[in-house]
Amino acid sequence: MTRKQRRLTLIGCALVVLAIAAGLVLNALRDSIVFFSTPSMVAEKHLGPGKRFRLGGLVEQGSLKRGDNLAVTFTVGDGGATLPVAYKGILPDLFREGQGVVAEGALDANGVFRADTVLAKHDETYMPKDVADALKKQGHWKDDYGAKPNSMPSASAAPTQGAMR
Amino acid sequence: MIAESGHYALVLALALALIQSIVPIVGARWRDAALMNVARSTALAQLLFVAASFAALVTLHVTSDFSVANVFENSHSLKPLLYKITGVWGNHEGSMLLWVSILALFGGLVAAFGNNLPLSLRAHVLAVQAWVASAFYLFILITSNPFLRIANPPIEGRDLNPVLQDIGLAVHPPMLYLGYVGFSISFSFAVAALLEGRIDAAWARWVRPWTLMAWIFLTLGIAMGSYWAYYELGWGGWWFWDPVENASLMPWLAGTALLHSALVMEKRNALKVWTVLLSILTFSLSLLGTFLVRSGVLTSVHAFATDPTRGVFILLILFVFIGGSLSLYAWRAPALKQGGLFAPISREGALVLNNLLLTTACATVFIGTLYPLALEVLTGEKISVGAPFFNFTFAPLFVPLLLAVPFGPLLAWKRGDLLGAAQRLLVAGIVALVAIALVLAWTYGGATLAPLAIGLAAFVIMGALCDLAERIALFRIPLSLSLRRARGLPRATWGTAFAHAGLGVALIGIVCETTWNSEYIGSMKPDDVARVAGYELRLDGLNPRQGPNFREMVAQFTVTRDGEKVSVMTPSKRNFTTRGASTTEAALLTRGASQLYISLGDTSADGAIAVRIYHKPLVLMIWWGPVLMAFGGLLSLSDRRLRVGAPKPAKAAARALQAAE
Amino acid sequence: MTLWFVFALMTVAAIFAVLWPLSRRGRADSGGSEVVVYRDQLAEIDRDMASGIIGAAEADAARIEISRRLLAAADQNGRDAPVTGSLSLRRAAAIVALVGLPVIASSFYLALGSPRLGDFPLAERSRVADANQPLANLVAQVEAHLEKNPTDGRGWTVLAPVLSRLGRYDDAVRAYRNAITYAGDSADRRADLGEALMGSAGGVVTADAKAEFERAVALNGDDAKASYFLGLAAEQDGRKADAAALWQKMLAKGPSDAPWRPLVQAALVRVGGTVPAGGSAPGGASAPALPDSAMAAAKDMSEADRSTMIKGMVDRLATRLKTNGDDVEGWLRLVRAYLVMGERDKAMSALADARQAVANDADRLRQLNEGLKNLGLDG
Repeated sequence: MTRKQRRLTLIGCALVVLAIAAGLVLNALRDSIVFFSTPSMVAEKHLGPGKRFRLGGLVEQGSLKRGDNLAVTFTVGDGGATLPVAYKGILPDLFREGQGVVAEGALDANGVFRADTVLAKHDETYMPKDVADALKKQGHWKDDYGAKPNSMPSASAAPTQGAMR
Repeated sequence: MIAESGHYALVLALALALIQSIVPIVGARWRDAALMNVARSTALAQLLFVAASFAALVTLHVTSDFSVANVFENSHSLKPLLYKITGVWGNHEGSMLLWVSILALFGGLVAAFGNNLPLSLRAHVLAVQAWVASAFYLFILITSNPFLRIANPPIEGRDLNPVLQDIGLAVHPPMLYLGYVGFSISFSFAVAALLEGRIDAAWARWVRPWTLMAWIFLTLGIAMGSYWAYYELGWGGWWFWDPVENASLMPWLAGTALLHSALVMEKRNALKVWTVLLSILTFSLSLLGTFLVRSGVLTSVHAFATDPTRGVFILLILFVFIGGSLSLYAWRAPALKQGGLFAPISREGALVLNNLLLTTACATVFIGTLYPLALEVLTGEKISVGAPFFNFTFAPLFVPLLLAVPFGPLLAWKRGDLLGAAQRLLVAGIVALVAIALVLAWTYGGATLAPLAIGLAAFVIMGALCDLAERIALFRIPLSLSLRRARGLPRATWGTAFAHAGLGVALIGIVCETTWNSEYIGSMKPDDVARVAGYELRLDGLNPRQGPNFREMVAQFTVTRDGEKVSVMTPSKRNFTTRGASTTEAALLTRGASQLYISLGDTSADGAIAVRIYHKPLVLMIWWGPVLMAFGGLLSLSDRRLRVGAPKPAKAAARALQAAE
Repeated sequence: MTLWFVFALMTVAAIFAVLWPLSRRGRADSGGSEVVVYRDQLAEIDRDMASGIIGAAEADAARIEISRRLLAAADQNGRDAPVTGSLSLRRAAAIVALVGLPVIASSFYLALGSPRLGDFPLAERSRVADANQPLANLVAQVEAHLEKNPTDGRGWTVLAPVLSRLGRYDDAVRAYRNAITYAGDSADRRADLGEALMGSAGGVVTADAKAEFERAVALNGDDAKASYFLGLAAEQDGRKADAAALWQKMLAKGPSDAPWRPLVQAALVRVGGTVPAGGSAPGGASAPALPDSAMAAAKDMSEADRSTMIKGMVDRLATRLKTNGDDVEGWLRLVRAYLVMGERDKAMSALADARQAVANDADRLRQLNEGLKNLGLDG
């Protein structure tokens, strides 16, 4: 083989491998991409049952209910809409009511979000970024979200503090 | 005094780096030996000053000097001493200082051991190192200065996050950095070669050990990070295809390719231009990895908006170094001399195939990692590219690579004999088929792909052994003679065999863990029994315990198998009293290469506790594989012919040769 | 002074590093070269042939190829020997080092450093701890102490109210819980815990908080704070009659000079209950409700306290309206409050919520729209 032929073989091989890889990537991008939504976006887009997506928002106060054998239900809200979520398993250490959460799963026929993964915030001041972004967009963001809610102490607590004792 | 001296040392290091960036280049241009030698002394001095600066920061953390903002924000007087020290690089500013210290260390090593490098090459390499270093010093001083002070020092530091107080988390970032930064050497060599307009064999000879060294650290760093995630995060996963992990995997893939192409270049003087490109790409990916993780852009595009100077600086550095080196490549590469010829079926051909598949795999990871980011910037739509994407793209590219691995070392340089190699691999092929049959029979009706993957792994491992057997002519000549040959084999050959076998070992672990992993999730009360993979785990009881600064709930499990007691496992859940943080401490029971894994969830009102129990067959092989690979790398590195310092006798011989001419 | 001396020494060392190679006569110790590499390769071919990896013919071919490169390299070596450079270049480099180094270093350092600040290691600082430290530092010290001795009930008892006062409600809740665990249960502590829980919920009496108040009352039926907040819980739930009954009972049973009387009376008036005989209504008790009357009570507070107090009240009102949306007056008050506070967006969203809440009731809707017209928001 001449130098040119050899080079052509090489380039041919490279192109074949690259074409295969491109095919794989495009195929995978079509099938295995998961979109992020908040409850309001779910309501707007009318996502059908069975379509996987990531749901982000705040766990509504008082909505967490534990059922038998690690089944839990809670409601995720973003200030605009709420969505009931069902999950079976152990919730992360930092899962709390009123805190940001991201769950991955799909809606079932009754409009309940069946989550198979639940991620909570990582530390005291961390809010899952998708949740933070979405809340910011909707104007529900306060800069000290996730930090201690000390910017809004109770009205009744303030005047009673001295007077009651 | 310590803080300010450390700060000033850092500033001096910058000044030295600036001089080192310019003077040697001028010297090389005018062929002035003295000016070129400036590179050497400044590189050593730079190392001295930046090391002093780093030592100062460590001292400040150890003495809890909260008048330094960095210490105040990231330390606490109550931290154990070990975590005070590791906390130095647990934060952005400190980790950047560590990064640049390692860069200076590598520069210093080139300066100290580069006696056998041509003078102008050494001057160019050190100057390019200094460019990178200068950019980093500026970045640190202007946007991430760890030595900024607080005029009225607070009495106590801010951080005592219990989750971060872990030895695995403390050790693996420096490992990764040693890997990332190690690739800066091959980058500097590549840019120096482009500047000089020629690449000689000495070039490849130098690049390979440095790449190998960086590669070893990176391999270990990735494995450590993965093991840390496995035991600390409490859900038994060891690789999440998380952007942070991908950021370290990409340089590893490119670096592995570089390792192999540098081999072709050294031995056969071919693939020069490609190797130069690969060196540039590998370090570019390292830079990208460091910055993607550090800038927080991966966790939120908006992190850029919160600190624009830092973000813009990062983009600028990436643009200048990646864009600049690639432009230089486009401009100067055509001028480089083409190398030797080889047939498609040859050792070179196999290594080209290896490079092709590795870089393509790297590209798919790159797309999967950065596509969501690009999409969010362009359209505002948020997506996440998870494990399925990588499984679909990465695995199909790795299968042919693994199939080709055993053939490579058996093919001759220049023109190989594929049929001959296949004959020599006959044993490996047979073993692989037997393995497939055995596994299929054993797990009848189960997964079909997994036995094939096990067979592939067996083929890779046996292939490596076949190569060794072939070289020492095992069973063809008397055993004693074979043993003598084995001792005479170059260590690099042993290294290759170990590294390739490590690949197979890791594959077995990965396949077994993902396919035959069994788990039990449920809530248990004392005296309840859970059955997982033939083991019976009885919850004996829950005992509260008081730790030094936490309270914990320890669950005691008695593990039995076929009625015989195996061991006792005690996972726990810790509550850090004053901080209100809680952590889950998983319990691991190792049986051979398999592990039982228990982590605890919440206690419910009726006294039951949520429990997650996994049986992970052969899971440890996932990490033994990389360790084996790193060991192979170390063997190669210790090979006389590859050693960083000049091979003295050979040099003497060369002198003799020159004298003879 | 020592500091500047150290700086000077370091600078001199740096300059020396640049000048040293310049001062040495440029010996052409050019180091290694390609020749060495090719020699090694030739040796390796012999080894490979000996171990049978390559045949004799291949070895010969390879040898010829490498030898050719070897010759070329040796040739190149001769031509590439560096010439001894010009003196002027070296002088220039020396000047750059002598002048440039100190200039670069000092300009960066003076812009960024704080040469006047000494070190403050912990060991030195804890010796001079005194009473003038800000509160936060004292809290940090107590916390540090408790980190080491988490069973010190007295420490927790001291720390908890301070944390509550500082607005660190979550920490306060934990501190009260620990105080109860280690220093014993009491009605006071339960009531304080409930209040802290309320604080962390932004002023809403949550189920947890209510449970604590109930426990406090169970321990001591006369605990004023717990009783008051139980009434408030009833009010927030919309059970005004229950709230009134609770507070009336408090006023009837409590001493006539109790400091909390005016507050409870004001609250009672708010829910429409009558103040029992024996206690006089406080000034402004007849004022309609939320913002105005409370504003009066808040007259003596500082600006910041007042605004946080108002904000808390508004939030509470909003929470109540979310659960019970029939109260048109309440909605109007909320919208007005938001307008006054300058949060127009929130006002508009409250308005939308209000419309939704009363949409099924024509009467109320009309009432709402009229009220909105008065506020200057129509349509």
